[in-house]
Amino acid sequence: MAIDRRNFLKFAGAGFATTLTGLAVPQSAFAKAKGGKAKVVIVGAGFGGATCAKYLRLWDRNIEVTLIEANDKFYSCPLSNWVVGGMLPMKDLIKSYDGLRKRGVKMVHDRVVGIDTDKRTVSTQSGSKIPYDHLVLAPGVDFMTDLIEGYAEGEAAGKIVHAWKAGPQTELLRKQLEAMPDGGVFIISSPARPQKCVSGPYERASLAAHYFKQAKPKSKIILLDADVDIISKGPMYRHAWKKMYPGMIEHIPNSRAVKVDHTTMTISTEFEDFKGDVLNVIPRGRAGEICAMAGVRADTAGIWCPVNGVTYESPKTKFVHVLGDAVATNMPKSAHVANNQGKICAGALVEILNGREPDPYPVIGGTSYSATSDHTSGPIAVVMRYDPDKEAYIRQPGGGAAPESDELNFEYMKSWAENIWADTLS
Amino acid sequence: MKVKHTLALAVSAVLMCSGPVSAAGATKAKPAKTCLIAGWENPASVCAAHTKVISATCFNCHGSNGKSNSAIPSLAGQEKAYFVTAMKDFRDGKREGITVMQKYALGYTDDEYEAMAEFFAKVK
Repeated sequence: MAIDRRNFLKFAGAGFATTLTGLAVPQSAFAKAKGGKAKVVIVGAGFGGATCAKYLRLWDRNIEVTLIEANDKFYSCPLSNWVVGGMLPMKDLIKSYDGLRKRGVKMVHDRVVGIDTDKRTVSTQSGSKIPYDHLVLAPGVDFMTDLIEGYAEGEAAGKIVHAWKAGPQTELLRKQLEAMPDGGVFIISSPARPQKCVSGPYERASLAAHYFKQAKPKSKIILLDADVDIISKGPMYRHAWKKMYPGMIEHIPNSRAVKVDHTTMTISTEFEDFKGDVLNVIPRGRAGEICAMAGVRADTAGIWCPVNGVTYESPKTKFVHVLGDAVATNMPKSAHVANNQGKICAGALVEILNGREPDPYPVIGGTSYSATSDHTSGPIAVVMRYDPDKEAYIRQPGGGAAPESDELNFEYMKSWAENIWADTLS
Repeated sequence: MKVKHTLALAVSAVLMCSGPVSAAGATKAKPAKTCLIAGWENPASVCAAHTKVISATCFNCHGSNGKSNSAIPSLAGQEKAYFVTAMKDFRDGKREGITVMQKYALGYTDDEYEAMAEFFAKVK
C-alpha cells in the first residue's frame, strides 16, 4: 500500500534504498561518492531539454550538464503560425543558446548516432563518446511519413511541407501561400490526437484566413481533420471564423489523409479526393528516434515513451529520462508543458543526486494561447497534479478554454512568448 | 476539499509553532521535521523542493524569477498577503476579465498559496 510506504519513508532519511518513486538512489549517490561531479547529459535543446539544462545548473552548480543539439540556434514552434500568417518574420523566432552557456551548460552541436545504456555513453556523429550518470531525452516528435502514400516524394520535391517543426519549412509554407493566386485553395491536413500542439492546425487556418482576407479574399481554406471534431478550443475558433472570416474556412472532420500526390496537388482521404493549390500535410508523430535507440519508446504501440511521473525516468531503461512531446501522457503536448516537465525533472534529479527524496507530488500547469487574427487570441489552461497512489497526473477542476478570443489575450500571448523564451534560454 | 482546508489550518499551526520566536526570553524554536503537502506528511526537504519547483512553474508566464517586462504582471517582490489574497480571489471568481488564473488558482491548495507567496516576496 502506498500509504504504508509513505509512512515508512517519512523518517528514513538519506539512506533509504529506494525512493517512493522506485528510483535507485544509491547508484546515483555512488557517482557523487566517487568524488567526481554528477554528469547529466541532455539530448534535444527545445523547450523541455533547454529548460531542464538551465534549472539543473541553477539549482545545483555541482552537476555537470551537457546539452546535445543538432541546431546551433533555438527555433520556436510557438508563434510560427504568425510567420505563416505574415505577422512575423521567421528570424524573430530564432534565439541564441548563449544564455545557457553563461550558466555553465556545455552545448554540443552534434547528432546522436548511438546510445549504450549499459556503459552509459552517448555516441555522436562527429565521433565523441559522452558518458552520463543520468540521460535526459527531449527530441520532440518525428513524423510517420510512410503512413501517407506519396508524402516522402512530395516533401523531397519541396511541394508538400508539414511546417510542424519551425524553421525552413515554415518559411517555405509562407512562400507557397504568397505565391497562391486569389481564389486558390489552401488545404491543411491534420492528424488525430495525441499530437504535438493539438490547437496548431486551427490557429494556422485562422491566420492564413487573416492573410487571405487582406491579400486574396476569394481564396478558401479546407481543414481536413482526422479527428472527430475541432479538438481544441472549438467554440473559440468557430466564433472567430464566423465573425472574422465568414465562408472562408471549411472544417471537415473524420478525414484522415491516406495519400498525397504532389504532381496533381491532390490529397486523398479514405473517402474523397481534394485538390488544392497549397497542400500542408501534417503526418502523425511519434517520439524522436533517439528514444528508440535507448529502448524507451515503449508504450503499447511503440510510439511514445512512458515515464515515471515524479522523475520522468523510463521504467524500461534505468537512468534514462524523457521530456516533452515524446512522453506518453494525458498531458497536452506543448511548449509550456515541456518547459514545466523540464523543471520537475531537474528538481527531482537535484534531490536524488544529493541523496534526498524527490517531491512525490509534482504539479504541472499547462497553458497555451492561440491567435485567431493579428490582434485577437484565446487561452486554454489546466493544472494537473500527480497522485502517487494512482501513479497518474489528475486534471484539476476548472481547466479549459476561453469561449472567445480577444485583444487582451493577444497581449498576454505576446507576453507569454517573451517570458517563456527568457525562462527557457537564460 | 473540506479536508484540505482543515489541513491547511493545521499546516499554519505547524509553521507557527516551528518558526523562530521573537518574544524576549522565549526558548529556541526547533525546525520542522515534517511538513504537509496535499494532506500528507513529508520530510522538510521535500516541501522545500516542492515549493521551489511549483514557484518556478509560474515563470514561463510571469517571467524568470517572476520578473516580467510585458503584459503579464511580475510577481517578484510582491507582498505576501497580497499574493495570497489575489490567488483566493482568482479561485473564487472575484477578478474580472478572461485570464487563465482562475484555472490555476483552482489547482493549488491554500498552503501552496502561502508557500509561493513567501517565495515571491523574497525575490529582489
